[in-house]
Amino acid sequence: MKILVADDSRVMRQIVIRTLRQAGYSGHDVVEAGDGKEALDLVRSEAPDLVLSDWNMPEMTGIDLLTTLRASGSTVPFGFVTSEGSEDMRARAATAGALFLIAKPFTPEAFGDALSGVLG
Amino acid sequence: MSAVEAPELWDVLSIAGEVWTSFIGSDEPLVPAADEAFPVAWSGAVSVTGDWSGMVVVEMPEHCAVAATSRMLLIDEPTQADVSDAVGELVNMVGGNVKCLLFGDNSLSLPVVALGRVTPPGDAVEVCRADLQWSQGPLRITVHSVAHSGATS
Repeated sequence: MKILVADDSRVMRQIVIRTLRQAGYSGHDVVEAGDGKEALDLVRSEAPDLVLSDWNMPEMTGIDLLTTLRASGSTVPFGFVTSEGSEDMRARAATAGALFLIAKPFTPEAFGDALSGVLG
Repeated sequence: MSAVEAPELWDVLSIAGEVWTSFIGSDEPLVPAADEAFPVAWSGAVSVTGDWSGMVVVEMPEHCAVAATSRMLLIDEPTQADVSDAVGELVNMVGGNVKCLLFGDNSLSLPVVALGRVTPPGDAVEVCRADLQWSQGPLRITVHSVAHSGATS
């Protein structure tokens, strides 16, 4: 499977990728995007099986990315990995079509719980 | 945690401890320390605007910022760009979690990172300050309440 990791922090992208491995999801192809606009382009060109996206990014936010994807007909499984994990943000994410929201800081267990239904 | 009117020291200590345990290492805990001056080499700031407006600032000496970056990336010699990125992500996580504690409708800025100190707006009022220590040195987290949020470096 192919996973797109979108975050404007390269450090955080590396931590997310490492945490995927620690959660038992090794061996997947990972594509990285540094902002929402780049992520949108990569969803179209790379056809990932899952998008893990930060919320607050330059160029295009994560919620705008998700809204744009759904408006264009994309049904790619989408989850947020963000420092803002309030109930309000979780509700907004779910309404827009996100499968889950993992709050930073996170643990491999949080990834396992969120991804078990997506990556198996 | 339930929503609060303004973040308190205990909130900041709890959030910072969780960030440190998750991404720096549980064997090198972050603990409260005495308020002692240190040379601030790196600062990161995020602004919260909305029903509550304010700024969260993380300050570290050089060796502390480099060591934290090294732990986060699992590399021995991070570049200056790596350190800037890591400091920004640390303050983003602290600020994002502070924002989640607050009542009302608020938004979080992207982080601003500076070599040296970030200057809060002139009308900023310090709400709380956490002086902290870990195995690699001191760091400080301050929360300011401001009438109109924004950071300059």
